[in-house]
Amino acid sequence: MNASLPGIPVSASEVGDLFEPLFWYIVAVTAGGTLLVGALLTVFCVQYRRQNTTGSTPRILGSHRLELFWTITPLMIFLTFYAWGVYIYDRAVQVPNDIPEIFVIGKQWMWKAQYPNGQRVIIGGNPANMSEEDQKHIGALVLPLGKPVKVTFISEDVIHDFGVPAFRQKIDVIPGRYVSTWYHPTKLGEFHVFCDQYCGTWHSLMVGKIHVVPPAEFEQFLEGKGGAHGSENPVDGSPAFKGWQHFQRLQCQKCHVPNAGAGTREHPQAPTLEGLFGRTVPLKGGTSVVADDQYLRESVVNPRAKVVEGWEPIMPGNYRDQVTEEELRDLVAYIKWLKPGQMIPPNDKAPSLNGAPRETKPESGSAGGGK
Amino acid sequence: MSIIVADEPRVGPVPPEPAPLKTNYLNARSGILSWLLTVDHKRIGILYLVSLTAFFVVGGLAAGLVRINLLSPTGAIMTEDQYNRMFTAHGVVMLFLFLIPSIPAVFGNFFVPMMIGAKDLAFPKLNLASWYVYMIGAGFMVWSVLAGGIDTGWTLYPPYSSRYSQSNVFPGAFGAFITGFSSIMTGLNIMVTVHKMRCPGMTWGRLPLFIWAMYATSFIQLLGTPVVAITLTLLCVERLAGIGIFDPAIGGDPVLYQHLFWFYSHPAVYIMIVPGMGVISETITCFSRKNIFGYKAVAWSSVGIAVVGFLVWAHHMFVAGISYYSAILFSFLTMLVAVPSAIKVFNWTATLYRGSITFQAPMLFTLAFLVLFTVGGVTGLFLATLGTDIHLHDTYFVVAHFHFVMVGGMVLAYLAALHYWWPKMTGRMYSDFWSRASATIIFVGFFFTFVPQFVLGYHGMPRRYPNYPAEFQVYNVLSTAGASILGFGYLLPGFYLTLSLFFGDKATANPWSATGLEWQTPSPPSTFNFDRTPVVVCGPYEYAIGVDQLGRGLPEPPGPGSADDPASHHGPTGPAGPMHKETHVVG
Repeated sequence: MNASLPGIPVSASEVGDLFEPLFWYIVAVTAGGTLLVGALLTVFCVQYRRQNTTGSTPRILGSHRLELFWTITPLMIFLTFYAWGVYIYDRAVQVPNDIPEIFVIGKQWMWKAQYPNGQRVIIGGNPANMSEEDQKHIGALVLPLGKPVKVTFISEDVIHDFGVPAFRQKIDVIPGRYVSTWYHPTKLGEFHVFCDQYCGTWHSLMVGKIHVVPPAEFEQFLEGKGGAHGSENPVDGSPAFKGWQHFQRLQCQKCHVPNAGAGTREHPQAPTLEGLFGRTVPLKGGTSVVADDQYLRESVVNPRAKVVEGWEPIMPGNYRDQVTEEELRDLVAYIKWLKPGQMIPPNDKAPSLNGAPRETKPESGSAGGGK
Repeated sequence: MSIIVADEPRVGPVPPEPAPLKTNYLNARSGILSWLLTVDHKRIGILYLVSLTAFFVVGGLAAGLVRINLLSPTGAIMTEDQYNRMFTAHGVVMLFLFLIPSIPAVFGNFFVPMMIGAKDLAFPKLNLASWYVYMIGAGFMVWSVLAGGIDTGWTLYPPYSSRYSQSNVFPGAFGAFITGFSSIMTGLNIMVTVHKMRCPGMTWGRLPLFIWAMYATSFIQLLGTPVVAITLTLLCVERLAGIGIFDPAIGGDPVLYQHLFWFYSHPAVYIMIVPGMGVISETITCFSRKNIFGYKAVAWSSVGIAVVGFLVWAHHMFVAGISYYSAILFSFLTMLVAVPSAIKVFNWTATLYRGSITFQAPMLFTLAFLVLFTVGGVTGLFLATLGTDIHLHDTYFVVAHFHFVMVGGMVLAYLAALHYWWPKMTGRMYSDFWSRASATIIFVGFFFTFVPQFVLGYHGMPRRYPNYPAEFQVYNVLSTAGASILGFGYLLPGFYLTLSLFFGDKATANPWSATGLEWQTPSPPSTFNFDRTPVVVCGPYEYAIGVDQLGRGLPEPPGPGSADDPASHHGPTGPAGPMHKETHVVG
């Protein structure tokens, strides 16, 4: 028993601050009602116990006025709860327009988040159910203090529920359907996230953290500089991030899988790009080359020029037609940024690939580079 | 304030104590087959009593293990998988095998015919069939437990239950499907019996309130249970055949299941509690020697609950992705269904006013019911209110609320009924001291168990969590401590009731001096209940005048036992005795 609970749990959002007065109003009224019933029971039981009475009782059958009184009075009181509750519910579920949207995926047994600029983080879960890649990115859902954000949820498998006690809110996360809520954090700090809908064996480990930080720190987090929160992904605005988006669009990861050649995949079709930059690459024909910017660019636009030792020259040579020079620069920046373990495998279930709200829509039919 | 004083019924003399029967329903026939093939509603009630007690013990043990595991924030004795199976076993056994049948199957079977002056239920063979169907369903559930258990929670939400769980969902769900038919059979039987088999003079306005409650319950059973049957069938179809009904990955809708499930399962909580309310109306009048306050209000509020109870199911789904407007509508309807329960509590309380109250075990259980049910009822308002439900939903607050109503309410009403009617059922009296001790211990233990859970829920501890943040541990330990007191309280009746069968004093025909027809037969009654068809001349609770429903005087009620008890000095109550009756009161 290392920590004790405060009397009133911290309330860290606008809805939380709305919740408390209503909660205590209902507590006061219902406690009053219960105590009234309890007091009447006590008084009657003492006053009219057999020792105190003759054993004979009056024949009282009822009273229409009393019945009306205790039908209408509770109903009126209940309706005050109802009306106040509807007001808060309305505040809690009607998402304001034009606020940034974070996308959260629940799956057995972890929560993953993606920010509008592509920043990704694992909110929490059971590490045993995560890939090594994901385990490195366990952090928290980082939210800016005082700025409302919309959060859209979907589940990959069963029904989960994203509950944040400090925000006094929860929402079922359903497979096959987007549901949205919004949070307006009002206090700095770290708060629990619980899965509140039973979802299987490790339900109780499908927990995470929400980290409310000052807006400046939030910006840093978005840019991938706030490593403490579990994410060092390339982010919006940086060439590497844009390059990553082009990398996805062009389906480069279909062949350039992570760990290729390391014996982890059976049929890699192309060398891995992780940690490539700066390395000395052996080439067909016995020469070698240091992987600098120029080499990287050349390998995209003219892949047959320098073929890596041990690989067949199967990469199509038409990428030059599909990327502008600027985009090419971004691609190179991304490849330079790639260190071992950072690449996302093609079967990755990261939010951006299936249905996340993204900044740049993939152009249809752009899955260039057919083999 | 005017108080309604109706005409006094005519009062006959107090009947002499009937000689105990040489052959009663218990010893009329003997041998195991005489029980297994019986069509006597009383024996079937006893069959149910024995089976339900066994399942209550099983469900209680599972609850005990769950509570022990929660002593530690990382699980004291079980793995997560074992814990999930354990709380599911607790929920499934307690709900489908104990709470839903409980009072209708045991006391409804036993006492509905006796209280309306009939020889048996309308369909005695259907009645026996209902017990067999129940046992077959229970057998499927036992199969699922023996084969390793179910880990889905009693609500069986798909797509987890239908596509992902590796546990024995099918036998469990199919068992629940089968026991549902038992529930339908019992409901149908009681409904027809109440309609067609009331004795002469037993008008609807003279029905004991227990009968009204059973009638309302039957209505819910008949209308609601088929819906859960088809829901569970669809679940099994998806699980076994992979046909997409609830799993969106194969074209289904998971929220559809919740609508169907709660369309039954919310009314089902009224199947559980309304019979308990009927019991309380019987005991509180008897032990306060008063007419029920507001007979019509109490009777019609049962019917009101049964009807409005069908219109509130989606309040289990406020955060489950239902539309904004349906949430607002269902919250409103839920506020309406809270009113009849409040009416009942106020009427019961008012019944005590100017009574002459004694505190035997049935009355202690009744008073405990009133307190706990009131707390359970008002905490439901937090969950009916949208603004508070979006935080409290699926936390321990819900667990505590549900247990206050179902254990504090229903189980205590069941125990009140058991202690009230035990002398009639067995012909024996049990220990006065130990039964009162048990009621007190259960009440105290209950409070300690579930009040901390309200605090946990308010702080956000989710249900079904074997692992929880360390700061929640204090309240979990408190709750488990309370549960051990509660468990001890439950053990006591097992001992003193069993002992009473062998060593208890012989019960008189009407040990509580009650007015109902069931007490106007010897204890235990004969196979056909009444020698001749009774003729009812007045309403059910004429304690003030001191007359039973046959128009005869009441025997002396049991006093608190002290020498200065006026009732023990002045002979029988009622105009036949020396006491002056204050029947005309204007308050």
